[in-house]
Amino acid sequence: MAATRAGPRAREIFTSLEYGPVPESHACALAWLDTQDRCLGHYVNGKWLKPEHRNSVPCQDPITGENLASCLQAQAEDVAAAVEAARMAFKGWSAHPGVVRAQHLTRLAEVIQKHQRLLWTLESLVTGRAVREVRDGDVQLAQQLLHYHAIQASTQEEALAGWEPMGVIGLILPPTFSFLEMMWRICPALAVGCTVVALVPPASPAPLLLAQLAGELGPFPGILNVLSGPASLVPILASQPGIRKVAFCGAPEEGRALRRSLAGECAELGLALGTESLLLLTDTADVDSAVEGVVDAAWSDRGPGGLRLLIQESVWDEAMRRLQERMGRLRSGRGLDGAVDMGARGAAACDLVQRFVREAQSQGAQVFQAGDVPSERPFYPPTLVSNLPPASPCAQVEAPSLVGGPWRAEPPGHPLQVPWPVVVASPFRTAKEALLVANGTPRGGSASVWSERLGQALELGYGLQVGTVWINAHGLRDPSVPTGGCKESGCSWHGGPDGLYEYLRPSGTPARLSCLSKNLNYDTFGLAVPSTLPAGPEIGPSPAPPYGLFVGGRFQAPGARSSRPIRDSSGNLHGYVAEGGAKDIRGAVEAAHQAFPGWAGQSPGARAALLWALAAALERRKSTLASRLERQGAELKAAEAEVELSARRLRAWGARVQAQGHTLQVAGLRGPVLRLREPLGVLAVVCPDEWPLLAFVSLLAPALAYGNTVVMVPSAACPLLALEVCQDMATVFPAGLANVVTGDRDHLTRCLALHQDVQAMWYFGSAQGSQFVEWASAGNLKPVWASRGCPRAWDQEAEGAGPELGLRVARTKALWLPMGD
Amino acid sequence: MSAHNRGTELDLSWISKIQVNHPAVLRRAEQIQARRTVKKEWQAAWLLKAVTFIDLTTLSGDDTSSNIQRLCYKAKYPIREDLLKALNMHDKGITTAAVCVYPARVCDAVKALKAAGCNIPVASVAAGFPAGQTHLKTRLEEIRLAVEDGATEIDVVINRSLVLTGQWEALYDEIRQFRKACGEAHLKTILATGELGTLTNVYKASMIAMMADFIKTSTGKETVNATFPVAIVMLRAIRDFFWKTGNKIGFKPAGGIRSAKDSLAWLSLVKEELGDEWLKPELFRIGASTLLSDIERQIYHHVTGRYAAYHDLPMS
Repeated sequence: MAATRAGPRAREIFTSLEYGPVPESHACALAWLDTQDRCLGHYVNGKWLKPEHRNSVPCQDPITGENLASCLQAQAEDVAAAVEAARMAFKGWSAHPGVVRAQHLTRLAEVIQKHQRLLWTLESLVTGRAVREVRDGDVQLAQQLLHYHAIQASTQEEALAGWEPMGVIGLILPPTFSFLEMMWRICPALAVGCTVVALVPPASPAPLLLAQLAGELGPFPGILNVLSGPASLVPILASQPGIRKVAFCGAPEEGRALRRSLAGECAELGLALGTESLLLLTDTADVDSAVEGVVDAAWSDRGPGGLRLLIQESVWDEAMRRLQERMGRLRSGRGLDGAVDMGARGAAACDLVQRFVREAQSQGAQVFQAGDVPSERPFYPPTLVSNLPPASPCAQVEAPSLVGGPWRAEPPGHPLQVPWPVVVASPFRTAKEALLVANGTPRGGSASVWSERLGQALELGYGLQVGTVWINAHGLRDPSVPTGGCKESGCSWHGGPDGLYEYLRPSGTPARLSCLSKNLNYDTFGLAVPSTLPAGPEIGPSPAPPYGLFVGGRFQAPGARSSRPIRDSSGNLHGYVAEGGAKDIRGAVEAAHQAFPGWAGQSPGARAALLWALAAALERRKSTLASRLERQGAELKAAEAEVELSARRLRAWGARVQAQGHTLQVAGLRGPVLRLREPLGVLAVVCPDEWPLLAFVSLLAPALAYGNTVVMVPSAACPLLALEVCQDMATVFPAGLANVVTGDRDHLTRCLALHQDVQAMWYFGSAQGSQFVEWASAGNLKPVWASRGCPRAWDQEAEGAGPELGLRVARTKALWLPMGD
Repeated sequence: MSAHNRGTELDLSWISKIQVNHPAVLRRAEQIQARRTVKKEWQAAWLLKAVTFIDLTTLSGDDTSSNIQRLCYKAKYPIREDLLKALNMHDKGITTAAVCVYPARVCDAVKALKAAGCNIPVASVAAGFPAGQTHLKTRLEEIRLAVEDGATEIDVVINRSLVLTGQWEALYDEIRQFRKACGEAHLKTILATGELGTLTNVYKASMIAMMADFIKTSTGKETVNATFPVAIVMLRAIRDFFWKTGNKIGFKPAGGIRSAKDSLAWLSLVKEELGDEWLKPELFRIGASTLLSDIERQIYHHVTGRYAAYHDLPMS
């Protein structure tokens, strides 16, 4: 008989049948840290960068507090060096054919596969997340992402003709994140030919390891550069002149601040904010499976944040009982244990959730906690909060840590984000009410619907204002499915075709320049309206009576009861238009909102029919419109061509919108994923001064075709043509679809940009106005498209009716429909 | 086994609204196998525990008294004595939970177990096993004869056609009659889940069968036998039944469970879905024939640090 290896405990375990530790060795992670002498720098241009005289922070095991390594903190000059390296690398990387980039990405996937054990142990060791989730989920998905984007790169020349890579991308990642978040963003960027500088929070070695793996692949060292540094470097990175786009992922308030500070800067900004998710549990659901959905969302180390759970009142008791029963079986422990559901996320996350729960309790909420969880910090048990009415102060106050900063002038009343690992449950009575409650927050990330009735599930899935909806599942991801959000979750996308367009711009458009005007006063821009004085002697035929504002389907007198004179090209008085103001904007937005549900609910065919009717009406009035244009200084021929082209645009967009949305097929999922293109809501458009008719129609047509309703400010120099079109719209369109407000441009722009209930804004005008619009959009984080004073060739197909408009005019929603009997 | 489940009145409202979401259950089944593992002493102890849940089974056309005798002896001594000593578990009286044979072999098994000097129960399959496509009268008679021969546990198959055509009352009545025919013997109802079509049917059939003892996944003769998705649905039904009536119903997966690793997954599945109270032979059985030898091999490796040769372990 060989020597006994059995421990003394077998007898006890035989009786208790408890779980034991299943430790995963992290020796290889430590060995890798040893290769760096336990001192991590930055990875720039294919080399480790360890400058001297830098502060360093310790990288600790979040559970034991053991010091694993020290991490150097980057400074401004390191940022500049990294951006320069990426800029140099961009020239070669983007010039190669897509096939070469595809091969490189495939090789990176292979390298990750070879070193996956190192990657998952390092990630789990440092972040404290359950190793099983990293090993079976993240590492596999990282490879799939690379393979998917390699395919996209290889077909780029045909599939994405007319687009070119933006340039160097600055990627900013939040303090608690999985390296996967970085992969979601670098894969599409690299695939289309951009290069990346990623700023990761201090003490996150996994991204550095990835950069090293990518860098050691050879020919393209500088395409992925990773710096670790404090949040104070964010504005420094964002304002580097080489950076063409900043992709920010993090807390809503930080995103808001960045939106403001980048107003007018050269870099574009893509925001992905917040971590909270939503789950709707109806009374026809398989409740046990829905409970597993809650576990997937909040208590499995898969999702980054907490969960809002809406339960239909008739199954409230049953669902709560099952949830509580299930919570009792959750296990939490060291992330590197192979048999735990949840790890720990460090002291900061622990503080945040403690504060949230205390606050909720003090407001009368019931808190239920359960599970096999170590009692010491930084572990925190799965938590279920109920009876927290939406109007309670807890749901309305900003998290203390997030208040402050230079921009205190916040619109008040942003509900607190539900932190990990908390689930806040509240009841609803009907599906209709569920939609009202679910959509009644500024967040628009992801949600799942649990219902066994197909009709109800689709009704809810289509009605939810979020970026991703899963039916009877939660948290599924796939590289080919776009993931993103709307409302204040930010409107940037990753994955699928939408993820690629994030890093592309239409070929041949002039480079985006900084239009920053340091002395632009945001408080006073467009605040005052210059008073209208008598316009001097009237020459020629007496002008027509003043036009009103076209709001709610009819011409109305402006609130200010004053008009402004419009002159023709020779300086003579051409007519009077109404002087619109804040109250008129308010009315116009209200009218647009009233019209929106009906219009968005129309089929694309019905919408196209009305656009075609408007086109026909314009053609009938061709001579009037042409003569108006002539008086503005256009040649008769050109004027007639402009009218014809305008009518064509209306017809083209009506036809184009028919072929919208499509079905995706995803590996490992039986059933389709629908990529829907949904209207944004109320779109505010400030039209350019030039092309008074064509630009107006070119912007109006796609907006309406995709089901938006609009509030438009027509050309300041010649608003009369837009108002002529309004006369036709009054007879053709339902009321409120398109509202046209004339007046002082800056003033109207200010009113629209600061309006919290305008879902998106397009601004074609001065650099200063653009800067203001970008700054003001931080209020509700509406997507903005500002021309920054650059003229557009509206008569050219690419600029006047190109795919860029089609992208900006609607938002994507991914609807997952798993099937099975 | 514990006191008999005296049964409950048929209440169709318990099954009228239920809908089981197939893809969601599949996902849960995938996760549950990856989320819990046990290693080292824990693994050894869990494996020994698994031994005590086994209904050591032989259901072949060529069974004779000699291989039944060998099976019974293996049931009494499932793990080599010296291995148990090394684990300090030799005085725990570890045997399998039962032996399970065809009705015609019950006499042989009873005799062999008596000769081995133990009181391991003999389970007999009955009621037209495995298809259940014989007359009710002969199915009931088969049960009575097996009980007369000394079987104290009867594994009956349900009539699948009643499930597929939704005749829940008829199913309930049949199972009640089986129950009556068993007398003092315990009844395990085999749902033959591989032939029920949908998981929703599995849930409904489980509920009806519980109104009448133990529920068991499959005969081992269908094309699809004990799978995790099916088990999850049945375990959830058992929990719902317990919440409604306070009666704990036992669960027996059977068919296709061959490796020690599988058996651990089944233990953790029951632990996760129902809790520790269900982890005892009165409420949980595993129907298997080759599983035991794999468990013994794993124990051998745990104790000695070596992998066993075929001849190192006694055959069953």
